[in-house]
Amino acid sequence: MYEFITSQLGVSILLAIGVLLALLGYVAYCIYYERKISAWMQDRWGPNRVGPLGLFQPLADGGKFALKEDIIPGHVDKVLFVVAPSLAFLISFIGFAAIPWGGEWMLDGKLVQVQVTNPDIGLLYILGVGSMGVYGVVIGAWASNNKYSFYGGVRATAQMLSYEIPMGLCIVVVVLTMGTLRLEGITAEQAGYWFGFIPKWNVFLHPLAFAILFVTVLAECNRAPFDLAEAEQELVGGFHTEYGALKFGMFFLGEYAHMVTGSAFICVLFLGGWHFPWIAEPEATSTFAVLLKIGVLVGKVTAFIFMMMWLRWTLPRFRFDQLMRMAWQGLIPVTLALVILATILLYFNLHRSIWALVGNVAILAFVLAYAAARGREITGRQDNMPRAKNITMAARAATGASA
Amino acid sequence: MTATTTYLLYLVFALGGAGVYFLLPRAGRSMGRAGAIFGVAGVVGLITLLATQIAGPDTSFYFYLFATIAIVAATRVVTHPKPVYSALYFVLVVVAVAALLVLQGAEFAAVALIIVYAGAILVTYLFVIMLAKQRGSAVYDHRSREPFMAVVAGFVLMAAVAGRASDLPVVEKTEAISVQDTTQTESPAAASNSMAVGTLLMTKYVVAIEIAGVLLLVSMVGAIAMSRKKVPVEGMVTKPKPLGQAGREVAPF
Repeated sequence: MYEFITSQLGVSILLAIGVLLALLGYVAYCIYYERKISAWMQDRWGPNRVGPLGLFQPLADGGKFALKEDIIPGHVDKVLFVVAPSLAFLISFIGFAAIPWGGEWMLDGKLVQVQVTNPDIGLLYILGVGSMGVYGVVIGAWASNNKYSFYGGVRATAQMLSYEIPMGLCIVVVVLTMGTLRLEGITAEQAGYWFGFIPKWNVFLHPLAFAILFVTVLAECNRAPFDLAEAEQELVGGFHTEYGALKFGMFFLGEYAHMVTGSAFICVLFLGGWHFPWIAEPEATSTFAVLLKIGVLVGKVTAFIFMMMWLRWTLPRFRFDQLMRMAWQGLIPVTLALVILATILLYFNLHRSIWALVGNVAILAFVLAYAAARGREITGRQDNMPRAKNITMAARAATGASA
Repeated sequence: MTATTTYLLYLVFALGGAGVYFLLPRAGRSMGRAGAIFGVAGVVGLITLLATQIAGPDTSFYFYLFATIAIVAATRVVTHPKPVYSALYFVLVVVAVAALLVLQGAEFAAVALIIVYAGAILVTYLFVIMLAKQRGSAVYDHRSREPFMAVVAGFVLMAAVAGRASDLPVVEKTEAISVQDTTQTESPAAASNSMAVGTLLMTKYVVAIEIAGVLLLVSMVGAIAMSRKKVPVEGMVTKPKPLGQAGREVAPF
């Protein structure tokens, strides 16, 4: 029995159970965290009634979700109405199977991988799971048989299809630089130093790809400023208008779990995963070091989640045409240029040199210069559009007023 | 595969065909129950034949599991009267087939199938289906067209292919994704799947890849050129066009 537990299979099973339970708790506390951060940014107190500092608020919320009456409205498609939240919940949680949590662990004289599974195609697995993520929203929106819900679903579909392309291209940049699809391999490759003190994280090679990946992850999670699917001012509640009680809770938890997977994914690709200079090194394989590595990854994920919340409470939501224009006219050409840059550097075997950074800066400078020269931002505000297409100008021309 | 096995296989296909025929939506009295009986008989017969005669005893249990899911879901794609459910069953078929590919060690193909089909193409299908008919079902949804000829054509084709299955080259079994001892995965064989696919695509099939890429690009440009429309601006006075030129506003670029 002891031998089974210390084998890779035993560790994987224990890790799968442990990660799932820890994640449920973490996601519940993310909601508390979000409420506290929003309160802090708006100069309020936030939840402070249940327990010290309101720390038991997630438990109270969970209890409320579970004890509420579970209403299924009469006009919905009953089967899909129930399937949709389960699917959203399931798909956001299975992505964790391929995240490398803590490198290698010396257990009973053998090295085991602190990862549920280390498939050859770990990166593509997460991408595939992410691309399935839209089904929960779309099915829920359709099954609700409600115009507002349906609009939410349609928006979510168009948004996810559009932002998956720059996301995939950013991942291609990382794959070209690292030469592997294994997430553990990508992390291990980043655990080194330039000049003895700069960690070899991909963010220093391709900062632009990193920023774009962060934007696309925000869009894939339906987080503000990309939360058009549930825009409460326009669509009541978007795809979850008809949902209540535990089914709404599952959508809610699924969204936060999606954020956590997305953040962990960015950390692994660009920020060295569990690696941190002088604290978490690949050579250290003791139990304490593994716990430290897990702590480093969780810390990085938490920082990302803080950033997502910060953005949510700072930026207004995009308009739908801005959203589409940003993906198709802004992000996709830039990421295509990044992919071309990465392939050229790979051909000259310079893919992990300073030239990657130089190329990124050059592309960014070119894009900014181009946007400035055209007098039009990437997101395409209407005042900045060419005059002939400008609504106010056209209206003036039509009414005969002088401009 | 002996001659008896082949004929038994044909019998199984006949059963399955009858099942699908009865399951297809039709006007008048539903024959779903008879269809279900025939269909279950067909699937059970096929699995039994596969397990006892064709596949070896070391075939994984998961093969039968995912194969059954794929067959049942594929039948529901054709026979379900609601198009949205059909599309969702199609997603299930894609996922089950991806699982079968993983069992064959073709991990890259499996994930590519999921990303391309389940993640992108089927979402667009769903999109269109949902916009087309949100509630209730149209005549063409609950009354299939030429069900008998369709079933005969489909199942005869399948039986013809399956009857010659033993002539196919035997593919060597490779390691599937599993919770494996990852300390040994640094060997080249473990990293070979996606690398082998990539090498083949970039050497032997590079022309095919380039042609496919150009074709996709051309079709994308064509789709954009066809769907582009001048958006009329509020308040702008436009001259009314003669009737014959009403749709000619679209300039290619």
